[in-house]
Amino acid sequence: MRKPSLFTICFVIFIASWIFLRYIVGSLISVPIPNSVIVMYMALILIAILVHISVEDSRLSEFLRPIIETLVDENKKVRRIVLVVLIPLFMLGYTYTNIAQKAGPPGDPRDAHPSPPLELTYKDEVIEDVENPYRHLEKDNPEEFKSHVENGRRVYYDNCFYCHGDHLDGQGHFASALNPLPANFQDPGIIPNFQESFFFWRISKGGPGLPKEGTPWNSAMPIWEDHLEKEEIWDVILFLSEYTGYSYREVGH
Amino acid sequence: MRTSIFVLSIIIFLLFSVIFISYAQEAPEVSERGKEVYEESCAHCHGVEGRGDGSAAKNLLPQPRDFTGGIYKIRSTASGELPTDKDLFDIISKGMPGSSMPEWESALSADDRWEVVSYIKTFYEGFKENESPPKEISLDGKIPYSEESVEIGKFFYTQFACFECHGNAGRGDGTSAPTLQDEWGFKSWPANLTENWNFRGGSSTEDIYKRFIGGIAGSAMPMFEDASFGLTIEEAQRYGQLENKVEMTDTEDEEFNTLDEKMGNAYDILDMMTEGLANEEQKQKHAEAMKIFQEKSWHITNYVKSLAPEKRPEPAIGKNALRSQYTVDTLPTIDDAAWGTLEASYFPLVGQIIVEPRQFNPTIDSVNVKSFYNDTEVAFLFIWDDRTNNTEEQENEDFGKTYEDAIAIQFPVKIPQDPTAPKPYFLWGGKKAVYLWQWKASAVNSVTELTAKGITNAEVQEVQGDIQAEGKYTDGQYRLWVKRALKTDDKKDLQIEPGVFVPIAFSVWDGANGDIDTKRVISSWYSFVLEPVPSSRRFIYPPIVALLSLGILVGLRGFVYRRNS
Amino acid sequence: MKTKMLICFALLIACGFGLFVFADDHEEEEMNKLVFSKETYKTMKVNNGGKISGVVKFEGEVPEKKKLAINKDPAVCGVVDKFDESLVVGENMALKNTIVYLMDITQGKDFDKDAKVELDQKECRFNPHVQIIPVGTALTVLNNDKATHNVHIFGTKKNGTSINKQQTRNRKRMKLAAAKGAEGPVEVKCDIHGWMKAWVAYVPHPYFAVTNEKGEFTLEDVPPGEYKLGYWHETCGNNNKEPVVVTVAAGGELKQDFTLKIKK
Repeated sequence: MRKPSLFTICFVIFIASWIFLRYIVGSLISVPIPNSVIVMYMALILIAILVHISVEDSRLSEFLRPIIETLVDENKKVRRIVLVVLIPLFMLGYTYTNIAQKAGPPGDPRDAHPSPPLELTYKDEVIEDVENPYRHLEKDNPEEFKSHVENGRRVYYDNCFYCHGDHLDGQGHFASALNPLPANFQDPGIIPNFQESFFFWRISKGGPGLPKEGTPWNSAMPIWEDHLEKEEIWDVILFLSEYTGYSYREVGH
Repeated sequence: MRTSIFVLSIIIFLLFSVIFISYAQEAPEVSERGKEVYEESCAHCHGVEGRGDGSAAKNLLPQPRDFTGGIYKIRSTASGELPTDKDLFDIISKGMPGSSMPEWESALSADDRWEVVSYIKTFYEGFKENESPPKEISLDGKIPYSEESVEIGKFFYTQFACFECHGNAGRGDGTSAPTLQDEWGFKSWPANLTENWNFRGGSSTEDIYKRFIGGIAGSAMPMFEDASFGLTIEEAQRYGQLENKVEMTDTEDEEFNTLDEKMGNAYDILDMMTEGLANEEQKQKHAEAMKIFQEKSWHITNYVKSLAPEKRPEPAIGKNALRSQYTVDTLPTIDDAAWGTLEASYFPLVGQIIVEPRQFNPTIDSVNVKSFYNDTEVAFLFIWDDRTNNTEEQENEDFGKTYEDAIAIQFPVKIPQDPTAPKPYFLWGGKKAVYLWQWKASAVNSVTELTAKGITNAEVQEVQGDIQAEGKYTDGQYRLWVKRALKTDDKKDLQIEPGVFVPIAFSVWDGANGDIDTKRVISSWYSFVLEPVPSSRRFIYPPIVALLSLGILVGLRGFVYRRNS
Repeated sequence: MKTKMLICFALLIACGFGLFVFADDHEEEEMNKLVFSKETYKTMKVNNGGKISGVVKFEGEVPEKKKLAINKDPAVCGVVDKFDESLVVGENMALKNTIVYLMDITQGKDFDKDAKVELDQKECRFNPHVQIIPVGTALTVLNNDKATHNVHIFGTKKNGTSINKQQTRNRKRMKLAAAKGAEGPVEVKCDIHGWMKAWVAYVPHPYFAVTNEKGEFTLEDVPPGEYKLGYWHETCGNNNKEPVVVTVAAGGELKQDFTLKIKK
C-alpha cells in the first residue's frame, strides 16, 4: 500500500481531533465541552501541525505537493473543478444560514455556586462554629445521629422534594417549569465539593441570598430560615449525604 | 404433681401466645427486603402502615394511595377487580404523571421494585384471599387511529356523557367538575384531556382504553357502560339523531321505539348476566353487544387521543422564546383568524411555594402566548386552561372558599442593558421593581397596570395607560387579548423595541383551587422579542463571500502556476 | 404451695386470654356505623314474637331547610325544588330517616323475599334517602330521568360495595352486585349531579327499620328475649356506646321512643 501523503496525515489528524473533542469526550464525561474550549484546542493542534511541517524545507514541500498538484496539474483537472465549485457553494450556504438564523435571547451567565459570605448566619444570629453541630454524633452516638437523619428525611419530604425530587436528583414534579433547574444532589460534583456550612447558607438564605453572580433574581429557592428551625436545616444536610452516600468537603480542606 | 401443673400452665401459656402471634400476623408473608425498601423510599408519603398518611402527605393532592383498602386507580383489570402485580410494578416504575408520584425506575432495581410490590400487597388481605388472578381487560379488536374513527368517537363521547365531567372540548371543564370528590373526601378534578402528559396512568391508546373500560376506582370516574347497548354504531347514531328531534313523524316514532326496545332488551340481559341468570341464547346476545361496545370504546379512545399533542410542548426557553411577528397592517383582534397562523409559545407554570400562603397543588399547567406587532403597537394573545369560570368570591360548603380567576403578566420596568445586569426578582420584583398587567375574570375588558417591589408589595399605577384588553372564557379555556403602544410617556412602564429581548413572567390564579394573593401558579423569567423583519443582508453577503472564495481559489492557482513555470 | 401454683396457672391463662381478646379488639371500631353481631345470623320460624315500636324525635333548634343549588340539567333536575335531606324534621319534631335496629340478635325471622330493593333516581334525587339492603341481595337502581347518572357507592373493596357505575339516560333499570357482608351505612352519590346523596346499609338480619315522616318505626316478630336497641342518624349520630336494653316478651308489645340531638 502506498504510504499516505503528509497532507493526508495532517488532514486526518485535524479532523479526528475535532471529532474526538466534540463527540467522544462529551459522551465520556456526560457534559459536552463548550465550543470556545474546542476552538482553543483546535487552534493549538493547527499550530502544532504548522510547526511540524515548517521545521524542514523538505517536509514543507512534501506537504504542499498535493495542494499544488491539485491546483495546476493537467491530470488533476476533475478534482480541481469539483473543488472550485464546491468551496464557493459551501461558503454561500454557510454565510446564509448564519445570517438568516434567528437570534436567541441573551444567555444568563450564572455562577451556580458562588462564594458564600464571610459570616454564616441564621436569621440575624451569627453562627460561630461552621461545623454541623450533629455531625460528631455519627461517631459518638449513632442512635441519636440516626434520629437526626430521620428528622432530616421528614424535613426533606415535607418541603424539598417538590423541586429537588424523590431521588434527590433535581427532578421533582415542580422542576420542569423552573429555570435554573433545582440542584441535583446525586451529581458527584455537588456534595463532595462543598462544606456543610455552604449548604446551610444556601438553604437558609435561598435564592434571594445569592450574590449578584449567582443571579439571585432567577432562583426559585425559598428563604428557608423563614420556614425551618436551625436544627431542621442541619438535619436535612445530614440526610442529603446519608441518602446519596457522598461526603461533604471537610472544614479546612 | 406440682411440676406437672407448672408444665401444663407453661404449655397453655405458650399455646395462647402462638395463637395470638399467628392471629396478629395472619395475612402477611412479610418480604423483608420489600419492607426495607418501602420504609426507605415510600413511607414518607404512603405511611409506615400503608395508610397513605406519611408526613409529606398533608400537602399532596391527589393524596398518596392508602393501600389498606385495596382500591387502586390505575389498573389493567376490569372494574371492581384488584390490580395485577404487573400494574403495581408499572406504576412504581413509571410513576404517575401530574401527581407527586415519581418514577422509580432510575432509583430502584427491578428486583427491589418487585419486592415492594409484594410488600404493599400485604397491606390488604384481599390480595391473599383472591385465588384466581384478577380479570384483565381484553385489548382485542383495537381500531387503528384514523380521522373517521375520531369522528365516530366524538359522537360517542357525547352519547356516553363524557362531557358531563370532561367538558365539550375535553378540558376537564364539564358542568359536574366543580363538585367532584374522591372516596376519601378530597377534591378531585376530571382530567384535562388536552394535556395528556398529565394522565396518571399514561397516555398511550391502550392506557386510555383501559382507564375508560375499567374506570378509575376511588375517583368519580365510573365504570362506563354502553349508552346505547345492543345497538350497532349506525343504530346508535340514528337513535341519537331521533332523540334530539323536537317532532317526529309516525315512522320515525316507530323506528325510535324499535331501537329503544332493542336497547331495553340488551340492558335486561345485562342485569341477568350480573345475577348469573342468563341462558345460552342471552349470553350469545350479550357477547355480541359487548363486542360492539368495545368498538365504540376504541373509537372514543381515538377521539380522546386526538385532543392532545403527541407530547408536552417545549418550554419557551432559548430558541423557543416568544417571538412577536411583524405585520404592516393593523393588529388582529381577539377572534381574528390571523392568530391561527402563529404557533404558540408554551410557558409551564408551577405552584408558588416560596411565600405563605403557598400553592402545593396547582391546577393550571401552563399559559400559551402568541403575539403580533406593527410600527407602533404590540398585541398579545394569552391562552390558558382553567376548568371553571370564577368571577367572584364564593363560599362553598364542601370545598371551602373559591375566588376570582386572574392572570398577571410581568415585565421589568427597564430592560437590563446586558445579560449580566441584574433583573428584578422573578417573584414580582424586590429592590428592583417590575411592571405588571393584571387582568381579572370579573372585568374581562380591562387590564390594570401595576408596579410591584415584591409579591406582597404591589401598587396600582396612578396613571393608567391606554391598554386595550378583551377576555373570553369558552369550554374550559381563557383567552386574553391585550394591545399596547410600543412606547409610552409613563416612566413606570416598559418601553419595547424591536430586536431587544425582554424578560417576561406570569402569575395565574385559579379561584376554584383556592388561589388568592400569594397562593397562585407562577413561572420563572422567560423572554420575548419583537422579531425584527428579516434583513435583506441575507441576500447580499452570501454571494459576496462565495465570489470572494472563488476569487481566492483562482488567484491561488494563478500564483502557483506562475511560480512553477 | 399448690394453691399458689393454681393461682399462677389461672393468671397465666387469663394473661393469654387477655392477649387474645386484645388482638381481637384490634379490629377497627368504626365510628358512625351500625353495630353488627359477630355471630352468623340463623333464621328460624318465629311464633308469637314480640313487637317493638316507637317514635324518634328531634331536640334542639331546627335548622332552616336548605334549598339545593341545581347547577345542571335544569330541564330535568330543576322542575321541583330540592332540599338538603341530612336532617328532615316533620310535625311534632318527628325525625325522618333514622335507622332503629337490634344490635345483638343472632336468630330470628328471615327477610321478606318479595320486598323490592330499589333505589330510584327521579328528578335528580335519590329515593329513599336512607335504605336497608339485605346482605346478598342485589340493589336495583332505577333511572326515571332523561339524564345520565352515575351511582357511586362509597363502600369497601373488601365487601364488594366500592361501586361506581354509570347509568346512562337510556338505561331505566340497573342491578348492582350484592354485598358480601354487613356494612354501613355507606354514602351513595351521583358525581354528575353533585347534590344527589343517599345512604344504604347492608344488613344481615331483618330487624332494622327506617323512621318515616312521623318518626315512627316498628320491629315485628322479635323472638322473646333481651336485646340491645340501637339507632343511627346521618346528622345525629348513633348510640353504639350506650344502647337501650329492651326485654321482649312473647306476643308482647313494647314502646321505646328516642330523642336525638345534632351530633357535636
